Amino acid sequence: MSTAHEVRPVARRGRSKAGSGMSAQEAAFLVIPALLPILILSVLPLARGIYLAFTDARAGLDVPTNFIGLDNFQELIHDDLFINAFKIGLIWSVSVTAIQFVLGLCLALLLTQNLHGRWLARSLALVPWAMPPVVVGIMWKLIYQPQAGVLNELLRRGNLPGENIDWLSSFSWALPAVIVVGVWAGMPQTTIALLAGLQAIPDDMHEAAAVDGATAWQRFRTITWPQLRPVIVAITTLDFIWNFNSFGLVYVLTEGGPAGKTELPMLFAYNQAFKYGEFGYAAALGCAMVVVIASGLIFYLWGRLREATA
Amino acid sequence: MRKILIPCAALVLCAALAAGAAQAGREAEAVKISFATYVWQPTTVAATKSIVESWNKSHPGIQVTIVPVDVNSVHDKLLTNFVGGSAADVIHDEAADIAGFTQQGYLANLSPLISKRFKASIPQPLWDTVNFGRNRVTGVPILMQTYNVFANMDILKAAGIKAPTAKSPWTWTQFRAISKRLTNANRFGVCWGLRSPTAAIQTMSLNFGGQYFYLEGGKWNFRWGAAEQAVARNIHDMIYVDKSVDAASAGLSGSAVLPGFFGGKCAMTVQGNFQAQGMILQGPRDFNWAMFPLLKGTSQNQVANPQTLSISQQSDHKREAMQFIEYFANAANLAKLAAGDWLIPANPASGKIILKSTKRTGSWRVATSSVVHFRKGNWVSLAAYARWKAEVATPQFVRYLKNEISLDELGKQLSDGWTRVR
Amino acid sequence: MIVSSHPKRSRTLQYGLMLLYIAFLGFPLLWMLSVSLKGPRELVELYPSLIPDEPTLENYRIALDDSDLIQSAVNSLKIAFATALVTTAIALPASYVLARRRGILTTFGLGWILLSQMFPLILIIIPLFLLLIDLGLTNSHIGLVLVYTVWALPFVLWMLQSYVRGIPRDLEEAARVDGATRVQILIGIIAPLLAPGIVVTTLFAFITAWNEFFLALVVLQSADLYTLPLKLKQFVGIEGIVRLGPLAAAALLATIPSLILFAIIQRWLTRGLLSGAVKG
Repeated sequence: MSTAHEVRPVARRGRSKAGSGMSAQEAAFLVIPALLPILILSVLPLARGIYLAFTDARAGLDVPTNFIGLDNFQELIHDDLFINAFKIGLIWSVSVTAIQFVLGLCLALLLTQNLHGRWLARSLALVPWAMPPVVVGIMWKLIYQPQAGVLNELLRRGNLPGENIDWLSSFSWALPAVIVVGVWAGMPQTTIALLAGLQAIPDDMHEAAAVDGATAWQRFRTITWPQLRPVIVAITTLDFIWNFNSFGLVYVLTEGGPAGKTELPMLFAYNQAFKYGEFGYAAALGCAMVVVIASGLIFYLWGRLREATA
Repeated sequence: MRKILIPCAALVLCAALAAGAAQAGREAEAVKISFATYVWQPTTVAATKSIVESWNKSHPGIQVTIVPVDVNSVHDKLLTNFVGGSAADVIHDEAADIAGFTQQGYLANLSPLISKRFKASIPQPLWDTVNFGRNRVTGVPILMQTYNVFANMDILKAAGIKAPTAKSPWTWTQFRAISKRLTNANRFGVCWGLRSPTAAIQTMSLNFGGQYFYLEGGKWNFRWGAAEQAVARNIHDMIYVDKSVDAASAGLSGSAVLPGFFGGKCAMTVQGNFQAQGMILQGPRDFNWAMFPLLKGTSQNQVANPQTLSISQQSDHKREAMQFIEYFANAANLAKLAAGDWLIPANPASGKIILKSTKRTGSWRVATSSVVHFRKGNWVSLAAYARWKAEVATPQFVRYLKNEISLDELGKQLSDGWTRVR
Repeated sequence: MIVSSHPKRSRTLQYGLMLLYIAFLGFPLLWMLSVSLKGPRELVELYPSLIPDEPTLENYRIALDDSDLIQSAVNSLKIAFATALVTTAIALPASYVLARRRGILTTFGLGWILLSQMFPLILIIIPLFLLLIDLGLTNSHIGLVLVYTVWALPFVLWMLQSYVRGIPRDLEEAARVDGATRVQILIGIIAPLLAPGIVVTTLFAFITAWNEFFLALVVLQSADLYTLPLKLKQFVGIEGIVRLGPLAAAALLATIPSLILFAIIQRWLTRGLLSGAVKG
């Protein structure tokens, strides 16, 4: 999902009359076209999906589905491959989100400076956003290709080690390699969000501080950072959630290999469902993933709460 | 009243009869069958299309439409089709893959539908590979592959090494010795892409009789005996003891080692026999290569995991579908398909046709003469095998070939994994 | 703006960093372009170079000749177009309500927008897939458009409602005082002011549907119904015969529509959307 909007509840004071005199009937009429599909194709399937997690639903001609309670979850906890996928998922999400944030912030800061050619950096910063994840995967596969790929060639020419490594097949390098691609693909939304946040900070504050003799670092610490924090928390949380749910990119790059070293939870769940037909089990996996994401969300809400009361 | 009633009744009767006749006529009209196939090579796609066209022309009562399936996600797509009840009538897949679908009940039993003549055209060992117990045959074997040694003949000639012949093929011992001889400071004896080694190892293990899975007391158990260990051990030792296989290239996929082979970084490479096409299309212009007969352990047997044609259990036109399959896989048509994909046809008569019509007699002769060495591998028929292969076998074999675990540890991991997955 | 106290030194540092970024962001694309211009023999060379030795447009010809590729591009076009239209059409009235009216419905709406981002697709796709089977809509473009619409609704709703918020209420109230009905207000006042927002939202929904992979992977089975991302993925897995050149060419061609559309809307996207969010 690539959107760079922030999630901020609206604080409207003094205008809380029942909105522009719209009757409940009118509102309902306008909302129905959107509400119906949402209910039928989103809310209901979600409920059914959660229900499936407690059944033994699987593929097979005329195979009955039985309610089995928490059996799937019990099996989950003991499933080494699931635990591996989960671990990989966390490593991936945290790494990609953190690196995205640092690089994105750096770039956003750079883009606020009056440099020649920043239009180029800015346009390029948006390109990964416009590209289908599949194409991003293909592109980086071409780079990482051991024989005809450019990375190894550059290493060889620079007399650097690693020219013979098959990055996407190496047990130790596959995950880092994939993380780099994840960062590349996610730079746009992070950079843009942070840039917007930076640009929202009034210049006078900086100028006043500069006049008072504050260094760049001091100004960053005392002015920029506090003002930017809500944006940072918002985009970082969203990034984490999107990254944890990521599928297409890694699927194209490695399909979870080698030997499960890059098997994100979504990939594992997809295989369980659509390769082995274990629908109930896969649904249980999905529920487990929701728990992780929910905790991420709680972190976000806690951050907002702190900021609101600070 | 009666004056009107009788003509009316007669009219109604006539109408009913006419409708009935029309209905019967419509039913005698075309039966529509869909044929899901994952052929992707341009030559094979063209061959498939032309065969289907000629069928449609000569069989106006049974019309076949091709439903293309993505070769990379055949299993996933078939599964979702089956679950959704929208599977095609005729399904192109491979023997090891249909084991799972057979167990799930999605494939029809073809035994009562296959004509005697057709059955006789394909050797019995190949029929064994698609027999899932109690004469339940759920697929027709059509195309197979073997693993062969390809060699850079210039290097071999310069070293004074003679190529093996059909009568005196190389044994594994000879293969290792020669690889070692050909290894020097500038090149390796063999380039071997072992990123997904399971298929190669298990297929060739039959050289030593290693089946891996044995029926004991009604259950399929995993055994890790000397026969099973032989091929894996040989490969491992070639990398780390003989040092005749480049450890770095061992992480590459089978075809990714070709540039090194073409560039003279190694004297030989082990590939699927279909890679002869790669040699021709990608090799440098005067590259002098040859495909050797199958390696020999105690025998030259390799496991057959043929591409298959099955019929969906949910199909309403099983008889018609079988008729089409027998036409599609007759000697002449099968020859066209095999030639397009550079795979070995199940029907020996097709092999003869190919030999007569190709210039590449060297590799094709080796390929077609390999048909006698195909045997059933027990693992091909096990429904849980696919999962064991993906989740256990491949990771563990890779670890062994990266020298991270010992041979005994490998056996233990494979065995424990099977217990968990089956 | 952060102005440093050592202009010259930090300037060099900044330019250096910016160059690194440009290299990091731009080089992969450049490489793909390079691969797309190389012939099959050159692609198997052991030591590749950035500039092709014998540049050729053959890969593009192969890619464009591939009728399946063109077919999948047409499929993508149809589906993305339909998704964008349908989604925007049903989201417009709903976003108006979300923006203007406080109440349970709006809380539910905004809450669901956020919540739906959270749920991993896998949890939804399985029952959705089973539901589509019951409706007979698997392996069909209509089914996919339905799925895409529901999937795209959250952020389309979000974007539109933030645009609506940007329109001052006073305009509406003035019109109502003058006796206009709700519909007249919607059509006469809101819609024209919302036009740029609608364009941006529609294009954004289009791009997202154009790029989408996972849902299409599950819903579509027949290769002739494939969308472009699925078709491209097909190119990737086929090892054995090198198709890297046409793959790169096809991938580049596939990205061009997204890039163009994105370039058009990016100004509004960043300005309009984010100012709406930041302000709101």
